[in-house]
Amino acid sequence: MSFTTFVTDKAGLQKFYEAVMASRETYAPVEKFGKFDFKRVARLSECDPVSPIAKTLSIKPLFFPRTAKVMKYVATSAGTDVSEVDEDPLAVKRVILGAKHCDARSLQVLDKVYNWDYIDTDYQKRRENTVIISTRCDKADTHCFCTSLDYDVENLDALDVLVVNGADGKTYLEARTAKGEALLGETFTSDAVRVTKEEAAPEMKKQYDAFAASFRLKMDYKEVNAKLAKIFDTPEFENVSGNCVSCNTCAFVCPTCHCFKISDEKVKDTGVRYKSYDSCNNGYFTLMAGGHNPRPVKYRRWRQRAMHKFVYYKERFGENLCVGCGKCTISCPVNISIFEVVSQVSAAAGNRQ
Amino acid sequence: MNYTKQIQDIAAKLFAEGKIDVFVGYRMNGFDENQVPVLITDPQDVSKLVFTDKSVFNLVNYLKTDHTRRKRVGIVVKGCDSRSLNLMLTESQVKRENLYVVGICCEGVVDDAGEKMQNCTDCMVPDAVVSDEMLGTAVSGSGTLTYKKNADIVALAEKPLTERAAYFEEVFENCIRCNACRHSCPLCYCAKCCIDQETATLYNGANTTSAAFHALMTWSLHLAGRCVDCRNCEKACPSHLPLHLLHKQNESVIYENFQEHLAGVIPEDRGAFYKYSLKDPDDFIM
Amino acid sequence: MEAEVKDQLVSIEKPELIAPPNWEPVIMGILCNWCSYAGSDLTGTSRIQYPPNIRIIRVPCSSRVDPWFLIKSLQTTADGVLVSGCHPGDCHYISGNYFARRRFLVTKKLLNFVGFHENRIQFSWVSAAEGPKFAKVVNKVTEDIKKLGPLHLYKKENFEKK
Repeated sequence: MSFTTFVTDKAGLQKFYEAVMASRETYAPVEKFGKFDFKRVARLSECDPVSPIAKTLSIKPLFFPRTAKVMKYVATSAGTDVSEVDEDPLAVKRVILGAKHCDARSLQVLDKVYNWDYIDTDYQKRRENTVIISTRCDKADTHCFCTSLDYDVENLDALDVLVVNGADGKTYLEARTAKGEALLGETFTSDAVRVTKEEAAPEMKKQYDAFAASFRLKMDYKEVNAKLAKIFDTPEFENVSGNCVSCNTCAFVCPTCHCFKISDEKVKDTGVRYKSYDSCNNGYFTLMAGGHNPRPVKYRRWRQRAMHKFVYYKERFGENLCVGCGKCTISCPVNISIFEVVSQVSAAAGNRQ
Repeated sequence: MNYTKQIQDIAAKLFAEGKIDVFVGYRMNGFDENQVPVLITDPQDVSKLVFTDKSVFNLVNYLKTDHTRRKRVGIVVKGCDSRSLNLMLTESQVKRENLYVVGICCEGVVDDAGEKMQNCTDCMVPDAVVSDEMLGTAVSGSGTLTYKKNADIVALAEKPLTERAAYFEEVFENCIRCNACRHSCPLCYCAKCCIDQETATLYNGANTTSAAFHALMTWSLHLAGRCVDCRNCEKACPSHLPLHLLHKQNESVIYENFQEHLAGVIPEDRGAFYKYSLKDPDDFIM
Repeated sequence: MEAEVKDQLVSIEKPELIAPPNWEPVIMGILCNWCSYAGSDLTGTSRIQYPPNIRIIRVPCSSRVDPWFLIKSLQTTADGVLVSGCHPGDCHYISGNYFARRRFLVTKKLLNFVGFHENRIQFSWVSAAEGPKFAKVVNKVTEDIKKLGPLHLYKKENFEKK
């Protein structure tokens, strides 16, 4: 199946966004306290589809909510009544504006784990009903390294509609999936010019090259994968984790971290059970009933996080669990960079065979 | 403000004399102006140490981690940091004899945008109050500075109740419940925090507005009379919430009604909630 | 029409929310065992009437009241809280109520700062001999909270008022 490409200008793009907003439930970055989070919006003026990547939280919560109600219960003398909650209108078609490429890619990575031994139907439904419109960044941020990882940023098919602001002042829209094709066909106005893929390609390529040249960080992920796999017991982990304050922010803002905890909010004999985010940097994360904790000290928890990103997930699903968005580094109160740490640890491995 | 050279010399001397096992300081992150805290165990690494007005993070936080526990530690503290260290000492969390404290006469640190941080412009205690060695010349008038009520809380308190309620509802709604504020706070050292209960209670980790309200209010009340306004929590918050509002509000009530000094300034002085005075205000009680 | 709306009872913090007809407030009363609880007993045995809106919880001392008791009450059923203890100097544990007094002031100011009306959090000193005073206090608190309307801020799941 071949997908269409449109060329338009800034005003045409705005019109397209407005048409999308009119027809579907739309989520886009909304600024609050200087930080952008994806929220439901009704008008284009409320949001900023090209929010700076350093200040934008990921789109993960739209698929894997920060908190989901699992059930409600009431204890009665006859037993416990459990009722399911259906709070998320999963059947509604929705559109995400202003997602970054790394965000879109993170869903592809998460799909693997959600399609693994247990099929999470809620997640699947949210994925099916969502169209992702992603604008390609013009410039890499200080901590970005998406081009160094195991996916093709230029031809990414995790997003449904690609928006590229070309250097020539024109805006290119390209459908990347059938869902995106349908949305474009439905909402695009007649102002737009339909072009062939070949006609748009040179300008889009030019934009991508300029973007790819702006990266400060570059790494060889294959080398990192191979080296990290060998050095589970290196003392280097103890050194690099020294200045971590175990604040968990990295896991909460990470577009691919997917650990959760179950907690009850119980008052008297009624309660609600919630599923909410958790982080492997938490001291109690691996604490078992009975008091045994296999990862009682900080460097072991830190090692788990780094190894899960670059070794364990890779071994199991063939993908890195890191998309190179740099959100963890930006949010870290002590500016620890996962890029720096992983490079440093694997360099230490190189020295000792 | 640049004490890089002096701190490197002190650290080298301490390692040479065998007085410390680990030195907690700052280093450059390697590509821009920002700094990363560093725990130095190898004497050869002391040349990494720096100290400028970008040395923002409160290092006392590291005294509660595995890497410094039961070790002899050298540490750099600014005015606000030293107050939190004072409280840690008073609350028996660290032993003074295990510490070598390098105090700084702080002229204020700057945020990411390069502007002086708000807590530094209002700072009443710029010079370190605990130290084995002081660097820099004492900031003039330190200790006699007058208390300035935070401009943000004055502005908010003047607003009508409904507006204030709406503002704070937005704050609690944007909390993502990562608890980074608590983890980055030097004075939140409980091994098990009350907002981390796994058993079925009213406390939980859910990211609902009510749970965030519950957790942040409890947290700020546990720090009332102890908070030293180092703003570690705000630096850690991924949603950039104005968490200082809660702490400064408590601090102003305590300062105006109970005591004429800030938390942690006087050695051996526990927080305002650990003592009382017969003259405390009574007019709000029927 | 306007006058009609005016007559309806709205929540003071969220004026857009209107109280249901015949709404009665729920007040959490946290009383110290040695003075105020005995005082409330005396009110009863003296046959002095006070509003039934108050739900009384007995605690050993007013300084047993952790600020989150108040937060918990306000987040669940209560529309207001009353904490009552011994008069200064009368504490069974000598100084408990002095410690409590500091905490109360800070808690009250903080809750008021984040948007709760100050009359929702009230404190009183009631001794075991002050039966009539207890009735007066409960009357005043109930009246105050009736004026403020139902509380809608930060209610926990299952306790949201429709």
